[in-house]
Amino acid sequence: MIRTENLTKVYRMGEVEVQALRDVNLEIQDSEFIAIIGPSGSGKSTLLNLIGCLDKPTSGAVFIDGIDTGKLSENGLAEIRREKIGFIFQQFNLIHTLNALENVALPMFFAGMRHETRMERAEELLAKVGLGDRIHHKPSELSGGEQQRMAIARALSNDPEIIIGDEPTGNIDTEAGKVIMDILEGLNREGRTIIVVTHDAEIAARAGRTKRMRDGKVLD
Amino acid sequence: MRDKFLLAFRSIRARRTRSILTVLGIAVGIAAIVSLMSVGYGMEEAITGELTGMADIISVMPGKIMGATYVEMGGFTDRDVKDLQRIGGIKDISAMTYDAVEVEYRNERKPTFVLGGDTKELESFYVEPVGLKEGRWLRENDYKGCVIGDRVANDFFDEVIHVNDKLVINGEKFIVIGAFEKGDMLYANDVDRNIFLTLRAAKEVLQTEEIKHIIVRVYDIDEAEEIAEEIEETINDNHGLDDFATAMTMGSMLEQIGDIFNIIRGVLVGIAAIALIVASIGIMNTMLMSVMERTHEIGVMKAIGAKSRDVLSLFLLESSMVSLVGGVAGCLLGWGVAKGLSFIGSTASGLEIAAIVKPGVLLGGIAVALIVGVLSGFYPARKASKMSPVEAVRYG
Ligand SMILES: Nc1ncnc2c1ncn2[C@@H]1O[C@H](COP(=O)(O)OP(=O)(O)OP(=O)(O)O)[C@@H](O)[C@H]1O
Ligand SMILES: [Mg+2]
Repeated sequence: MIRTENLTKVYRMGEVEVQALRDVNLEIQDSEFIAIIGPSGSGKSTLLNLIGCLDKPTSGAVFIDGIDTGKLSENGLAEIRREKIGFIFQQFNLIHTLNALENVALPMFFAGMRHETRMERAEELLAKVGLGDRIHHKPSELSGGEQQRMAIARALSNDPEIIIGDEPTGNIDTEAGKVIMDILEGLNREGRTIIVVTHDAEIAARAGRTKRMRDGKVLD
Repeated sequence: MRDKFLLAFRSIRARRTRSILTVLGIAVGIAAIVSLMSVGYGMEEAITGELTGMADIISVMPGKIMGATYVEMGGFTDRDVKDLQRIGGIKDISAMTYDAVEVEYRNERKPTFVLGGDTKELESFYVEPVGLKEGRWLRENDYKGCVIGDRVANDFFDEVIHVNDKLVINGEKFIVIGAFEKGDMLYANDVDRNIFLTLRAAKEVLQTEEIKHIIVRVYDIDEAEEIAEEIEETINDNHGLDDFATAMTMGSMLEQIGDIFNIIRGVLVGIAAIALIVASIGIMNTMLMSVMERTHEIGVMKAIGAKSRDVLSLFLLESSMVSLVGGVAGCLLGWGVAKGLSFIGSTASGLEIAAIVKPGVLLGGIAVALIVGVLSGFYPARKASKMSPVEAVRYG
């Protein structure tokens, strides 16, 4: 279970302060599929980054499976990101010098897994997202939809309970976006918690629950 | 570990142009250091090597050195030479005489110098280091023979003088039996403008019994200074003056030259230091750039679960691989440049300067490349790895 407690994030740029999140209290159950929608600048990405342990709150807390992530060391946070969370970015953020197999195997490399095990599992995961015949391709040799599928395979490599997607379909066309959503639905059926930010109402409609944000607050 | 190398190698290869530029930047800096130091060592060796070969020599002259000028007080006598033979620790003594003369060759007359002495001694003092270009060296009974310096042979007269040509020196005929190579730095003045005769012939041509130069060899170099003082005292006593003779050991000549050397060495060290600084700044710049460009990549790695030290060790490995290749390439390049420079320098100046590439300099060059490269890669990599993943991912 994921729970936020009075989660607040203030960005400070010189004299100017931006209240990106204000006292957000949100509970997400295990195996839930939740979509977060809201206008640009409402704080959606900020919220996901905090839940995903990519950033630290100004105040408040994020609990993942009862662990107060604010009390963890840098290394502890890295371990949470590595083992419990799979993050999918709008810009894919693949390592363009590595091929599909190596990109997917990278989180397992950081987890200290054996080379053979990694390669085997990376190949399985690529097959699972429909890229079984693209394992030696570089990201730049693939379409946007295919790159995002590679990123999903990478997110799955350490078998995380939680998948977080910040506009995962934002940079690809509708058809490819549907494929991505199919995959995410499948992952949800496997019992994984899925949290997605989207602008697309059709996609939001496929989630089990939808939350709307405005001005740094999650509306009821 | 193997995977880390592979990963680092991948990313070096994928950024081929950037990597080549980085390697090149490091290599040029290291090459500058290596080549300058090697040429410097070569110059130093060219001069000291020659002098230390003659460390057992004491040069005795009838006059004194006042500042930069030499004031001749007269000449030595046969008695001086005999008295010197009684001083202990002396291996042998060679008396020489010389003076300005007028030489005639094919109706052309030119002033130059005649130098006469024991042929064996002159041979070890002049022929061995300088070498003959033509003909052979004098023997004691070559009473009418002469050996000429390079400028006498080639520059003094309209026509070049060869072996078997005849010269007239102060009215007496001599036959050329040998000619010297061009003398190098130290011997240039001595050898090039001289005509060498046997002592007997020289005394006759110069019409003097006076000896102008005595060369003494000692058994033990450590005693040379003491013996030199004894020589001065002995001769001064003979002539009733307290500063008639000057006896100089090679050691003290070396000391005099040493000052010049320290200046040359200082300049070389200065140039090497500048090269080092320039190289270091260049290496730092390329490393900083190439790591900073990848802040985004570092952020992505952290976002998918890499710890700061995972990222750091990857980047350190990468920058040390690049630095090592750059350092080795720089050493090879520097070696080549040093050899090239000494070749150009030698042909242009006629001096024999062989660049000396010391293993220590090569190792030092590689060490500098590694240390500067890795440190300057470490700083931005550490900075990037300390950023929050979001911040780093947003970068670039
Ligand atoms: N690094 C930052 N520095 C300063 N302000 C920031 C930073 N990141 C976000 N903000 C500000 O915080 C607020 C929330 O931003 P956030 O990215 O969470 O919005 P969003 O809902 O994801 O918007 P979008 O739909 O455009 O992605 C915005 O006003 C934004 O300008
Ligand atoms: Mg956003």
